[in-house]
Amino acid sequence: MNFDWRAAWDSVPRLLDGMLVALQATVLGYLIALVLGLVFALLRRSQQPWVRMPVAVVVEFIRSTPLLVQLFFLFFVLPTIGIEFSPLATGAIGLGVHYATYTSEVYRAGIDGVPPGQWEAATALNLSRRRTWTAVILPQAVPRVVPALANYVIAMFKDTPQLTAITVLEGLSVARSLGAETFRYLEPFTLVGIMYLTMALVMAWLARIVERRFGRVRAV
Amino acid sequence: MSEVPSVSPSSRRQFLRAAGVTVAGALGAVGLTTACSRIDLTAAEGGGDLLERLRVTGQVKVGFANEAPYGFINRDGELTGEAPEVAKEIFRRLGVDDFVPALSDFGSLIPGLRAGLFDVIAAGMYITPPRCEQIIFSDPDYNAPEAFLVPRGNPRGLRTLDDLRAQPGLRVGVLLGAVESGYLDKLGLSDLAVTFPDQASGIDGVLAGRADTLFLTAISLRDALGRRPDAPLEVTEPFVPVIDGVEQYGAGGYGFRPGETRLRDAFNAELHELKRSSRLLEIVRPFGFTEAEMTDLTADQLCRPAA
Repeated sequence: MNFDWRAAWDSVPRLLDGMLVALQATVLGYLIALVLGLVFALLRRSQQPWVRMPVAVVVEFIRSTPLLVQLFFLFFVLPTIGIEFSPLATGAIGLGVHYATYTSEVYRAGIDGVPPGQWEAATALNLSRRRTWTAVILPQAVPRVVPALANYVIAMFKDTPQLTAITVLEGLSVARSLGAETFRYLEPFTLVGIMYLTMALVMAWLARIVERRFGRVRAV
Repeated sequence: MSEVPSVSPSSRRQFLRAAGVTVAGALGAVGLTTACSRIDLTAAEGGGDLLERLRVTGQVKVGFANEAPYGFINRDGELTGEAPEVAKEIFRRLGVDDFVPALSDFGSLIPGLRAGLFDVIAAGMYITPPRCEQIIFSDPDYNAPEAFLVPRGNPRGLRTLDDLRAQPGLRVGVLLGAVESGYLDKLGLSDLAVTFPDQASGIDGVLAGRADTLFLTAISLRDALGRRPDAPLEVTEPFVPVIDGVEQYGAGGYGFRPGETRLRDAFNAELHELKRSSRLLEIVRPFGFTEAEMTDLTADQLCRPAA
């Protein structure tokens, strides 16, 4: 197979547009996953069984079904009951909620990792429940899970091609479209591979910086 | 064409139309070299006595790509479909009764024919100028006009491409890599496009209100709707898209080795007879073809490069 540089060059602008879409979906989705995951983790520790149980069911349900199935329901079924988001928003929500179930497990591990003495100390100091969480537990729990959380941003980024199913044309689907139009797959697929690699490496590098900055448990 | 695994057969032929240049060019070159190593098939005037030889053996080898409804092996293991059924009838009239199917990749049909692996291509192959440089075609037995799949009652009043203009918020579903998205581009309407990965999700998209219509050939839409008879959708009257004053055809015919003009002409004569007697429509109707797909275009017209 010969590599046609001209065809490759011509496909760059459309591929970059696609990669921008992938990036938008990832950033939005990841924010949702970070926040919602923590909410899930905290609710699952609720002392009220009627809070704890339903959340556990929802988390396990989402975690154990394929992202593609969830995207399908969000995109094609929700509008029939009057809830409609744009394709990109649907994709970000789908990714975010799906990955929130993973990040909630990461947070859980972080929280479990806080030594019991810290809880006891908070009780001994008569800290309120809220203050125990915000001042004692979370500042110790979150930093230790930063590397694990950062992992998911790359995994999520590489899951964005699944958004093709809901008409979001990110990089890989643009490449497929180009291939179908020109019958040349080598150039768009090579380029899109390089683009994904580059962007994933940048994300990994940013994650390292975040990790170095926030990833250390301060001496309490 | 295994490079495009996730696209359904009928959408695949859509972009084959657009991509005909590359395929026919590249594969034709392969076909040429293969043919040289075999017996010379095109020496005699008008292709010589191939028709006579077919009559003597009573056998014709038919190349097809497994692609419903154009040419496919049915559940009983028999070759059927729009193109094979028409070819069977014509060869029977020419005195050749035994129909030997030769399955091939769509992209290998032209080289295979040129290499003598089979005598005719019956795959509903679109007649395009680049392909005409590689093989000769019978006149087309169908033309595939476009149509819109719309909610029942056609609330947006879509009939032709012109109706897509000046409709605020209109969303037109097209298939990934299909020729229709190219039409929208050329009309400057690419902003309207909502790209679905396959026909099934396109239908779901219209049902869920994700797109106001799905834009595809009438044949594919009818075929799709036939599998979802419960859906409150309808297919609009088929139309031939006109872009910059040029009608866009998707007309399919039967391919013969270059030089086999005698066989091709004999085939054409019978094909014209089938058209005159309306027998053609009878044969292809079970495969979802209607009056709208019938055509009087000729291979010559379709082989001429677009101005």
